[in-house]
Amino acid sequence: MIEIKGLAKKFAVPNPKKLSEQERKDPRLKGRFFHSVQDVSFACGKGQVLGLLGPNGAGKTTTLRILSTALKPSAGMVEVNGVDVLSQPLLARQKLGFLSGATGLYGRLTGRENIAYFGRLHGVPEARILQRIEELATLLDMHAFLDRRCESYSSGMKQRTAIARAVIHEPEAVILDEPTTGLDIMATQTVLDFIRRLKDEGIPVIFSTHHLDEVEELCDRVTVIDQGLTRFDGDLASFQALSGDNLHKAFLTCLGKVEPLHQQGAA
Amino acid sequence: MWLVFRKELMELLRDRKTLFFMIAMPILLFPLIFGAVAFFTSKAVEDAQSKVLHYVIEGAEYAPLLSEALRESSEFSELSGETGSDYKVLIREEKLDFVITVEANYAEPLLEGGQSKVVLIYNDAGLNLVQRRVQALIDKEVEDKRRLAFEQLSLSESQQQALLSPIVLEKQDVADKRENWGEKIGGLIPYIVFILCLQGAMYPATDLGAGEKERGTLETLLISPIPRHKLVLGKFLTIALAGVTSALITVTSMALWGLVLGQGMALTFVSEFMGAIGALDFVLMFLMLIPVVAIFASMLLSLSIYASSFKEAQSYMGGMMFLVILPIVLATLPGVTLDGGWAWVPITNVALAIKELIKGTMDYFALVGIFGSTLVIASAMIAFCVFWFNRERVLFR
Repeated sequence: MIEIKGLAKKFAVPNPKKLSEQERKDPRLKGRFFHSVQDVSFACGKGQVLGLLGPNGAGKTTTLRILSTALKPSAGMVEVNGVDVLSQPLLARQKLGFLSGATGLYGRLTGRENIAYFGRLHGVPEARILQRIEELATLLDMHAFLDRRCESYSSGMKQRTAIARAVIHEPEAVILDEPTTGLDIMATQTVLDFIRRLKDEGIPVIFSTHHLDEVEELCDRVTVIDQGLTRFDGDLASFQALSGDNLHKAFLTCLGKVEPLHQQGAA
Repeated sequence: MWLVFRKELMELLRDRKTLFFMIAMPILLFPLIFGAVAFFTSKAVEDAQSKVLHYVIEGAEYAPLLSEALRESSEFSELSGETGSDYKVLIREEKLDFVITVEANYAEPLLEGGQSKVVLIYNDAGLNLVQRRVQALIDKEVEDKRRLAFEQLSLSESQQQALLSPIVLEKQDVADKRENWGEKIGGLIPYIVFILCLQGAMYPATDLGAGEKERGTLETLLISPIPRHKLVLGKFLTIALAGVTSALITVTSMALWGLVLGQGMALTFVSEFMGAIGALDFVLMFLMLIPVVAIFASMLLSLSIYASSFKEAQSYMGGMMFLVILPIVLATLPGVTLDGGWAWVPITNVALAIKELIKGTMDYFALVGIFGSTLVIASAMIAFCVFWFNRERVLFR
């Protein structure tokens, strides 16, 4: 289970005067600090898929980076299967599989070498790495390009390799930051099928996305973040109920751009 | 740590740019430089030596032997019909190579006519060997005149020698050949080696820090369950190895091609000089390079990880080059020796020690201070690098 409570993260702004007009107007800019995440809470249980939604700059990536241990929060609690991410980051990293926004592959290594390298970093035995790469290559349809250098990969190939790398160590929880962005239909379907498989294996998955159809297809829970605050956190049915099955409207409702369905009825 | 090191090394060796800068360039650069310099210099000397020089002789009647020697030589050609012209203009216009004016007393025996003056007008700019070629002809006549004068005076061989050189200053240099040459070139060697170490480490450092940031691989690496200090040490070792390798390849290439292209003369000198330096001194020089490279590698990695892009890292490193040159230049200044405070100045002390080792005048006790201070600084720089790698503001700039 992944649990986040009262998460906050502020960044020092060395020279606020250098910010653009729009950035200066952001209410999260307080003095010399930018409060990227102000109060975010959500939880994702075993076998659940949580869709993390929010407009650009809402604080999704910062939240996921804190969850992945790349950033330290200014306040709040983050736990992965009972392990406190703050006090035991190395142990938390063992339990987590994380795919960042950038695929982040070493171009001069082959896909197989990239995946194996991270397997070794996670302490996976050599024999298991070989076995696991074969399994993942089959699941993500990677055999055709696995032994080619990553610099020659298409976006879809890169993303599939990055996902394989993120789960080579058989993590207990998986976090994916916009895993289908820029992918074609076939590659997107492969990624979504893989997430479904993780869910079937009982692994909690958090993934951020802008594609509401993916949320509808996969998610059990939805969390909407805006201005660094949790605007909605609940199951998919409750999210859909916000605007009569129209997820697009439900999302805008969370952001205060559209009135909730019950208020519309009252009006 | 070794896992990171092995991977970084593998990736580095697959990068054509790195291979070119680290291996191919040092191997190819020096033969090209040596070859080009040797070829053009020898060609210029050969051309100057074989060029037929056009001349005018004034007062030829006073120097019949000299004018005959000039006429008979195929290396000179007399320019007729130019007598009384403005010779300087003709020489500048390259219509004429030289003019010699002989005084009236030239032909007279030495004891009667006294010293005679020959004026040589020529253009000394560029490699033309005019003076040397004319001097060779005149020297022969000087010798004849001197011999005749000595015969007239009925001087013995030793009297002749005493007259030619009344006092001889005999030098007894306590410095042996090695110390002499060590003083002359000993300051240059650390300069070359240090710069090459730095140069060789620069590209990998940029790639392993700012390059990883730019490609988005750093974030993935940071969240893998490897302590930051091991990550830094893996990267640091790769950069340091690249620096040392580059320097070794360059120096070896320089020595080998210098020997090959030096054609015999340099071979004797170089082999004598190198033979005088003991194996222990070479080992010590190499060992002293390790902490120096460690300082460079950690500084480069710190700069690289701070930079938000490859380009930004390269601009920082350009500035660092000047920072490194300064302590090396200090070591070449007169009066700067490996004692007192200088033994504690990083980089300068190693440069001074390498010079002393080459000269063969090393006080080996000074090594304790050098290794001690350099290692402390290198360790502090690595510790700073680890600290830098833990700073969110640096990693996510």
